Amino acid sequence: MRFNSFKYLVKQGFKSLWFNRVNAFASLCIVTVSLLMVGVSMLLSINITKMIGSIESRNEVIVMITDGTPDNNVTLLGQQLNENENIFEVNFYSKEDAWLDMQTEMTEEEKSLFQFIDENPLPDAYRVRVSDISELDKTVAEISALNSVDLVKAPNDFASVLTSIRNVSAILFSAVTLALIIVCFVIISNTTRTSVYARRKEINIMRYVGATKAFVEIPFFVEGMVIGILSSAIAFGLTWLTYTEVYKMLSADFQTWSIFGISGIISWNDIALYTGIAYLVCGSLLSAVGSVWATRKHLNV
Amino acid sequence: MVELRNVSYTYPNGQKALDHVNLKLNDGEFAFVVGNSGAGKSTLIKLLLKELTATEGEVYVNGYNLNKIKKRKIPHLRRTIGVVFQDFRLIPNLTVYDNIAFALRVIDAPQKYIRTRVPYVISLVGLTSKAKSYPSDLSGGEQQRVALARALVNDPKLIIADEPTGNVDPARSYEIVDLLKAINECGTTVLMVTHQHELIRYFGGRIININTGSVVFDEVIGGADEIQ
Repeated sequence: MRFNSFKYLVKQGFKSLWFNRVNAFASLCIVTVSLLMVGVSMLLSINITKMIGSIESRNEVIVMITDGTPDNNVTLLGQQLNENENIFEVNFYSKEDAWLDMQTEMTEEEKSLFQFIDENPLPDAYRVRVSDISELDKTVAEISALNSVDLVKAPNDFASVLTSIRNVSAILFSAVTLALIIVCFVIISNTTRTSVYARRKEINIMRYVGATKAFVEIPFFVEGMVIGILSSAIAFGLTWLTYTEVYKMLSADFQTWSIFGISGIISWNDIALYTGIAYLVCGSLLSAVGSVWATRKHLNV
Repeated sequence: MVELRNVSYTYPNGQKALDHVNLKLNDGEFAFVVGNSGAGKSTLIKLLLKELTATEGEVYVNGYNLNKIKKRKIPHLRRTIGVVFQDFRLIPNLTVYDNIAFALRVIDAPQKYIRTRVPYVISLVGLTSKAKSYPSDLSGGEQQRVALARALVNDPKLIIADEPTGNVDPARSYEIVDLLKAINECGTTVLMVTHQHELIRYFGGRIININTGSVVFDEVIGGADEIQ
């Protein structure tokens, strides 16, 4: 195709957009809102996953060692724990340290109960951290099966709650995204359909004078793409404004959250590029597919 | 060249529009197609433009076998045919020049060619002074001449005129047919569908009469203009 013809077709696409402006504006708004909702649910999901990840990494499993285990067996157990794929950190916690920590945490009344005990009653232990909390039960079973392990203390209930939150958020995110993608697709194809209807006389003439299918379709494709790209840009701008405001509002609470092991939300700078690309790809892809689909369906060239 | 060999067409609702039609139009011929409403004239045109495919028989237009033509080749077939309609079918928001140039733009013609070809065709139909006017500023006859120029601009081998004088006042009708005759004299095959028997009587030539889907008359008659 000649450059001049391409330029002509792109111009026709813009002209058609202007001619069809009320409808185009309505689709622009709906596509923007849909993209915005997909974006918000995506950002929520990313943040929830990150928060859960930060809680996971702070989760400790205490592996208590059988009293009287020889030192070389304790070292061997440490090596075996290190070899476990789901464990990323192993620290030895001696019975002496445990006893000291316990005494500092005790009230005077509690201390009085222990004053007649000469011998340290606590066992040696390993404190380990797991990478994937959803695999916690399996990891605990593997640790329990090792020699010299007396008892394994793990926050199993908490782990299952976190895993469910993560799963539910992933399902919600996927469902919302899918529903909104369908909405965007329908809206874009409906705009194209209206545009095809508005230009039906012209299209009819184009057919009679021997225009190829691509020639007839390009202006509609341009129209759809412009709506898609503009919607992506607006959705990106709105997300930027809202996200930075929410970030500012919540940053005061981050310190409180960190006590519970929850990290703060991701800063805008870290995700701006990905969000922009996601909006652009999503918006333009949807509009391109939507307009081509509608043109093929309603145009009998 | 146009050839229909034993062509029948039945619409999906069962209505038979053409019934075993045999017709041949040689290169450079001029023929009038007449017939009552519903006789099958429009179906014939649709078959020639490959809007419909014959349910039986074979259709050949300008070297294309329309029963076997690939979908992507249809635009190329249509570039060899110029079509003129009763209702002109001009784009209202384009000037005379742009309406004609439109036919070249959509077939990806070079800009340089458009700039020389369009004014030439406008001069052929005698509308040079109206090149910048919009269709709404023109009379019916002038609009039809623009439509004719648009059909001509691709230099087609065949012109199909579907009642081109139907919306034109009687005096101007003769001008339109005169124009078609002049185009035909330059070697373009012309097939003109009409209801106006006075035009046929005046110009004469080959007359194809279609009645209830069949060709009932196909003869050459002398016209009044020849007698004069």
